[in-house]
Amino acid sequence: MRKALTLTTAVAAASLLLSACGSDSAKTSSSSGAAQASGTIASKLIFGGPAEMKSRPDGPAGWAKNYGVTFQSFKVTDTGGPVTVTSLKNGQIDAADLFTTDPAIKANNFVVLTDPKSNFGAQNVVPLVNKKKATPGVQQVLDAISAKITTDVLINLRTQVEVNKMDPDKAAQQFLASLSLPTTTPAKGVTLTVGSANFPENVVLADIYADALQGAGATVSKKLNIGSREKYIPGLKDGSIDLIPEYSGVLLQYFDKGASATSPDATYAALQKAVPATLTVTKQASAEDRDAIVVTSATAKKYGLTSIADLAKKA
Amino acid sequence: MRVPATTVLATDANSSPWHFWTYFMDHRSDDLRYLWDHVYLSLLPVVVGLIISLPLGFIARRYRWSYPPIISITGLLYTIPSIALFVIVPPLFGLKSLDPKQVPIALTIYSVALLVRVVADGLASVSEETLLAASAMGFGRMRRLLSVELPIAAPVIAAGLRVATVSNVSLVAVAGTIGMDNLGRLFDEGIQLSTPTPYYPPIVLGIVLCVLLALAFDGIIVLGTRLLTPWRRVAR
Amino acid sequence: MSGVITWLNDPAHWRDRPADSFVGIPSQIVNHLEYSLIALGIALVIALPTGLAIGHSGRATWVVAAANALRSIPGVGLLVLLAVIIAPHFYGRTDLGYLIPTEIVLVLIAIPSILANTYAGVDNVDPAVRDAARGMGMSGGEVLRQVEFPNSLPLIFSGFRSATLQVIATATIASYFPLGGLGRFIYDGYHQQDYDQMVSGGILVALLAVLVDLVLSLVQRLCVSRGVSGRFSKTPTQDPATAALRTKEEVATG
Repeated sequence: MRKALTLTTAVAAASLLLSACGSDSAKTSSSSGAAQASGTIASKLIFGGPAEMKSRPDGPAGWAKNYGVTFQSFKVTDTGGPVTVTSLKNGQIDAADLFTTDPAIKANNFVVLTDPKSNFGAQNVVPLVNKKKATPGVQQVLDAISAKITTDVLINLRTQVEVNKMDPDKAAQQFLASLSLPTTTPAKGVTLTVGSANFPENVVLADIYADALQGAGATVSKKLNIGSREKYIPGLKDGSIDLIPEYSGVLLQYFDKGASATSPDATYAALQKAVPATLTVTKQASAEDRDAIVVTSATAKKYGLTSIADLAKKA
Repeated sequence: MRVPATTVLATDANSSPWHFWTYFMDHRSDDLRYLWDHVYLSLLPVVVGLIISLPLGFIARRYRWSYPPIISITGLLYTIPSIALFVIVPPLFGLKSLDPKQVPIALTIYSVALLVRVVADGLASVSEETLLAASAMGFGRMRRLLSVELPIAAPVIAAGLRVATVSNVSLVAVAGTIGMDNLGRLFDEGIQLSTPTPYYPPIVLGIVLCVLLALAFDGIIVLGTRLLTPWRRVAR
Repeated sequence: MSGVITWLNDPAHWRDRPADSFVGIPSQIVNHLEYSLIALGIALVIALPTGLAIGHSGRATWVVAAANALRSIPGVGLLVLLAVIIAPHFYGRTDLGYLIPTEIVLVLIAIPSILANTYAGVDNVDPAVRDAARGMGMSGGEVLRQVEFPNSLPLIFSGFRSATLQVIATATIASYFPLGGLGRFIYDGYHQQDYDQMVSGGILVALLAVLVDLVLSLVQRLCVSRGVSGRFSKTPTQDPATAALRTKEEVATG
C-alpha cells in the first residue's frame, strides 16, 4: 500500500517531466499572444539582452521614446556574451543587444541596426586613473596607447581572444609589439595596480595598458576580472586599484545619473567634470564599443531592416 | 594589426578541456587569489561555526527541554538554499548589498545549523556507564566534559565537520555567481570566453580545483581525527 | 528591509505583465517547482530501485560510494560546463538548451542522497527481522517489498527530503542562465542593482524550501508505519548510530 503510494509519486513526477517538456513551446507561443497590439515589425520579435537593460534609459523606454519601437517581449540573456549570441544565432530571440566590437557579429553575418537618433550614447575606451598615480609620464604612455586603439583594433583583439582563444596577455603583447613603441622609461618610479572588469575585451585592454606601463619603467601588478563597476570603482577610490579601462558613456552615467551627452566629445567633456576629485580620465581612444540592436541577416532581409527606426514600421 | 595565420592554427587546441593546467599557469596570480579566497571562505565558517556550536550543542544535550527548539531552529536554517541566504544576510546584519562579508556570515550560519545537532548527538553517544565511571573517579562536571565526553564525541563531531567543510566548498562557488571572488569566478570567465565556441579550460580548472580542495579538506579532517583519538586505533 | 517588504507587497509583482516581459511571483514558483519535480522524479526512478537492489543483495556497494563522490563536484561548475556544451545545439523557440543541462545537474545532485539513504535503510534492517520474514516463508521479493522497504522508509524519506532541498536550492542557480524560477528575481535584481528585488527573491526561495520540506515531513508522517517511526513511545529513542548516519546524508550541494 505504502509502496504503491511511493510508486505513484514517482510516476506522477515522471509524467510531469513529459508535460513540462511539452509545455515549453506552449509557453513561448502564449507570450506571443500577449504581443503589442500595434502590429509593428518589432511587435513580432523577441528581444534578448542583459537584465540591467530593462531599466536603463537607453533600454525599452528609450526605444519607445526615440523610435516608437516596442518588442513583443524582452528575454533576459546576458551582457553581450555567449548566451545572447547563441540565442540570436539559434532563433531563441530575434533581436539582441550586442556590443559593436563583438567578433560574433561578423562571424555570424549579424546586422547592426543604425541608430540615427543616438539612443545609445558614445562609449569610447578611456583609462580611469587614480589621480596620484597619473604622473605626466604615466599620462604620456597611456595617451600614446589610447591613440592607437581604434574600433578595428578592438575587434581584432577580441577575435584573437574570443575566437582564437589566445591568452589575453599574449594578444596584448602582440599588439604592443606591432606598435614599435619608444624604449624610453617615462613612467619609472611609479607603482600601480591595473584592474579590469570581467569580460574579455576589458581584460585585454587592461593587459595592454599594464604591459605598456611596465615597458615604460613602472612597477605594475594586475588584478583582472574583478567584476562589475559596483565592485571596482570602490577599489579605485580606496586605492587598491589605480587604473581600469573604462567606457565614456556608461562611466558618465555611473557618476552622473542625469547626464544627457551622446556624442563622443560631449560625453568625454562631461565625464572629465563628473569624475570624483581623486580620480581622473586620460585621453580617450577612438575605439568605440557601444551597445547596438542587432538582428540576424535573415530577419533583416525578411523585414528590410537597416535602422532601429525600421522596426516601428508595419509588418 | 593583422592576425598571423600560424596563431589561428596553433591556438585551436587551447580550448580543449585538458588545457586547464596551462590556463592555471597563464593566470597564476588571479587563480591563486581565487584559490586562497576559496580556502578561507570554506574553512573559516566551519571553525567559527564549531566554536559557536560547542556550547549550544552542550546546552541542547544538558537541558532536555532545550533540545527540540534548538534542533528545529537550526534545522530550519539548514533548509534555506545557499544563494537565498547569501542575499538575505546583508539586510539582516546591516551590511551593504554585495558586501564580501555576507558569504562567510551565511556559511557560518550553515555550519552552526549543521554542527549544533552533531555536537548534541555526539555528546549523547557517550554511554551512561562512562559518565558514571568518570564521576566516580572524581571528575568534576567541566573536567568530565573536556576530557571524557568531548573526546568520545570527537568522531561524530568530526563526521559533521567533514560534511560541513566539503559542502562549503560547493556553496562558496555559488557565491561566485553574484560576483564574489572565489573559484566560482572561473566559471564566469569560462562562459565569457565561450563564444562562438566553448572554452573549457577555466571551467574545468574551477571544477578540478574545487574537487581537489574538498578532497584535501576531507583528508585533513580524517587524519586530524585519527591523531586526536589514538584510543580508537588501539581498539581496532 | 522596508524596501523588501514594499517589493513583496506590490501587487504588480504578483502577476505576469507581458508588456514589460515580467513574469510574476506565482508563475515563477510554478516554474521553480516544475524544474525541481522533473529532476526529483527522474532521480527517484533511478536511485530508488538501485538503492533497494544494492541494499537487498548486498552487492555492488561501490555504486553508492561512487555516487557519494559526486557530491564533491560543485553544482554551478557542472551547470556551466554542460550549458556551454549543450546550449548551442538547440534551435528555434525553446529553452531546452538550458533546461536540459539544468535537469542533468539537478538529477545528479538528487541521486546521491536518495541512493545512499535507500541503501542504508535496507542495509540497516535488523537481520533478526529479515530472518523472521524468511522463516515465515516469504520469498526474496516479498521480504524486500513487505519488510525491508517499509522498515527503510524513514531513511528513504530523509534522503528524499535532503535531495529535494538541494534541488530547490540548485534550481535557483538555473536562473544564472535564461530560465525562469525564483532565481530570476535574485539574478535580475543583482544585475539591475535592484537589491530589494534580489533580497525578496532570496526570501521567496527560502520560504519555498521551508514549505516544501514541511509538506514532505507531513507526507512522511502519513506514509511511515508508526511501528517503524517509533511514534508510539512518548520519548524518542536516541540511537547514536543513526544520528551519525543522518548527518552524513545531509550534504548540501546547492
